[in-house]
Amino acid sequence: MTTTLEPTESVTQPRGGGLARRQNFGTAVAGGVIFAFLGWLLARKLFYTGSDNFSDQVAVMTCVGWMIGFWIGIGAFNAPFKWLLGNDNSRDDDLYYAGHNQGRARYWKYTTDHKVVGVQYIIVTMGLLGVGGILAMAIRTELITPGTHFVNQQVYNSFIAIHGMVMILALIVAVAGPWGNFVMPIMIGARDMAFPRLNALSLWSLVSAATLLVGTLAVGGLPVGWVVLGTVADQAGVGMDFFAMAIVVFTVSTTVASVNLITTVISMRTKGMTLDRLPIFVWGTVVTAALALYAFPFFFIAEANQILDRTVSTSFYVATGGGTSWLQANLFWLMGHPEVYVILIPAVAALFEISTVMARKPLFSYRTAVGAMVSLAGLSAVVWAHHMFTSGWAPSLGGPFMVTTELISIPTGIFFLVLIGTLWRGSVWMRLPTVWMFGFIFNFLIGGVTGIYLSDVPLDEQLHGTMFVTAHFHYIFVGSVLFGAIAALAYWFPKVTGRYLNEFLGRISFWLVFIGIQITFGAMFLSGLKGMPRRDASYSLAFEHTNFISTIGAYIIMIGMLILFGAIVTSWRHGEPSGPNPWHANSLEWLVPTPVPLENFDVMPVVTEDPYHFDKEIVSS
Amino acid sequence: MATSEKKSLTGFFWAWGIITAVGVVLSIWLPQRYMPEAMSNDAHLTMTTMILFSICAAPVAAGVYAGALHILRNYRYRGEGVPPAAEQIREHTKLLVTWLTASAILTVFVLVWGLGALASENSNTSSNPLVVDVTGQQWIWSFSYPGSHVQSNELYLPENREVEFRVTSEDVTHGFWVVNMGVQVDANPGTITTIHTTPDKLGVFEVRCEQFCGLNHAFMDAVGYVVTPQKFTSWLAAQPQQS
Repeated sequence: MTTTLEPTESVTQPRGGGLARRQNFGTAVAGGVIFAFLGWLLARKLFYTGSDNFSDQVAVMTCVGWMIGFWIGIGAFNAPFKWLLGNDNSRDDDLYYAGHNQGRARYWKYTTDHKVVGVQYIIVTMGLLGVGGILAMAIRTELITPGTHFVNQQVYNSFIAIHGMVMILALIVAVAGPWGNFVMPIMIGARDMAFPRLNALSLWSLVSAATLLVGTLAVGGLPVGWVVLGTVADQAGVGMDFFAMAIVVFTVSTTVASVNLITTVISMRTKGMTLDRLPIFVWGTVVTAALALYAFPFFFIAEANQILDRTVSTSFYVATGGGTSWLQANLFWLMGHPEVYVILIPAVAALFEISTVMARKPLFSYRTAVGAMVSLAGLSAVVWAHHMFTSGWAPSLGGPFMVTTELISIPTGIFFLVLIGTLWRGSVWMRLPTVWMFGFIFNFLIGGVTGIYLSDVPLDEQLHGTMFVTAHFHYIFVGSVLFGAIAALAYWFPKVTGRYLNEFLGRISFWLVFIGIQITFGAMFLSGLKGMPRRDASYSLAFEHTNFISTIGAYIIMIGMLILFGAIVTSWRHGEPSGPNPWHANSLEWLVPTPVPLENFDVMPVVTEDPYHFDKEIVSS
Repeated sequence: MATSEKKSLTGFFWAWGIITAVGVVLSIWLPQRYMPEAMSNDAHLTMTTMILFSICAAPVAAGVYAGALHILRNYRYRGEGVPPAAEQIREHTKLLVTWLTASAILTVFVLVWGLGALASENSNTSSNPLVVDVTGQQWIWSFSYPGSHVQSNELYLPENREVEFRVTSEDVTHGFWVVNMGVQVDANPGTITTIHTTPDKLGVFEVRCEQFCGLNHAFMDAVGYVVTPQKFTSWLAAQPQQS
């Protein structure tokens, strides 16, 4: 698209286009259900009922039907079909798909505007966090005392797996999804992403995959742990097929999104936006996208193998057929460890961005910060087997993987240096994003240091598989990444809504969540030190007190998160108006009007320096 | 343009010192208070490593926390509205080099210690270890002693003799973990994995499954006893023989 739109909105609704103009989330669900039923019906006619694989074949066909129907229903195939028929979208069609003049309805559609996709990612993230959070509360409630009370073991075992995977999905998209889509293109001076339709495809694929994942609860659950280790997953029912199909589609979603992000940053930067003038958050999203592009195909293969084992009796992971679950474990962690940094890096990069603006100082050692992110991404590709130190696979590789893993503490240390160095001698503006940033610094240190124990093979032979590990990565995921994501939300909220996120409620929420985390996961460290295994529905009396304390802490976190949710909902509609540039920042996203018009810029900006010169303000708000 | 002045670092160093001291006390106290009773050479090594790493981490963590406190105390903007620009510092080579050097030295120390500990765990000196075959199945552990046709669901081990566990599984992957001895390895179907340890303290210990293995995973425990070699021989003789 090359023409510039008038910023004023016309009153005429776009006409024509027939059925395609009526597609939205509702038709997508309808299409998904109809095709799922057709898939189910077809599978039952097609496959031999007496086969051991019959139920898995039917389940996979049902999932495939759901996916295809969902894509057709949402309109993902409209433009490709048109192409095949030798036509192309008209300018009117493109405007329609960009959500021009459609108000709130565009958020329920296959909308190509990157800002709409960004907002959709915020909603999807909050939905996933909500589902994962409810499951977390169910888990902690069950663990309040020894024995099984509230949910039976089968259900508990499903809850831990689905809590784990839903939360991982939520955090993968928590920062890179909303802000990599909403602000990143504006930051680099682009009118949209390089592939706007692929942007919508990645978002809606995520939605349909997440539906399948949560849907496992309705088809017998997933009582196998979130790593779905080959041998035990082989025993699981059709919930496992739903899970594997959800992952296959999810990897398609992340791959499409990564290609889109990378291409956008490489080819769509405005004049003068050289690589060393890029806002640091853009570097963060590019490094993350590159890492995701490397990591998630392993997950695709891992789960595709599982589907083949279950439906056509291959034996990649089945010991009696010559397979080994070590193959599954390797593929899973080849994805699983880079994925941790896919989750972490965007949050850190967003905090870098926030720290400069809030301290009114340039980023401390910009090039070192970029180098740290790139080297962290590189290192993360060669550390995966530290998850398998005690698996018995290749014991002689314990040493080498210990070396690569512990090297990670150097780039991670640089993150602290950059944050502290930027804030040091600044004029630190204590607004909501800054408050969450200080929480991040506190928690990330605890999560980081406890990671060093686990990287040490002899120590890992005691701590592996215990609640110590659970506490460690919750300090990273909840205490650090979620804090970074909330800081980013508080920081860019005014750009999305034109209003501040309620400072008072936000701070109450901060203190509750912060204190709740110290109680919950602090006590969980002690459970783990004492020797309580992870994923246990019940435990011996020795772990009684620490578990009770963890559960109390979890309820405090829940109250804090509910208050934050309330703050988001009320501020979105009634918050204090902020103007286009409330933080007096110089990066491009703050220099366009709020709400940001379709295609962002009337006149393409020319960039002459990086956005970190706070001694001269470019545009006042 | 207002520049924030350099503030005195006295408070920072006090905070650093105090937080480090608290960290060191916790480093020594917490593991000994909370970790299970160490009953083997490996468990003692685990405890020592835990304490040592924590002591090393204390000053680093304290430095970051003291830095954050220093910022909150001295560099917080207390006026109304938008804070004025701070001094536009972009680099500080000396600080960067110091930080990188310090973190590199600490990493190398942790690595050297860890690799040394790993090597000492792997160098099994005994030429005549007691072999125990460990089999996991949903959801029970069984132990057999080759050469004696004894099979048991309780794990008896003689004191001060190296044990070699040969671990396998009948169904899915389990995690064989001798809690008080600081060793664990997965029990995989169709494969035998081994670990060594030398019990050095008489008493009761626990075996748990630490790899999710299905419905009753949480209850897949076993009890073990470290006994004198004489008692071990007589226990072995008293067991029913399996053919």
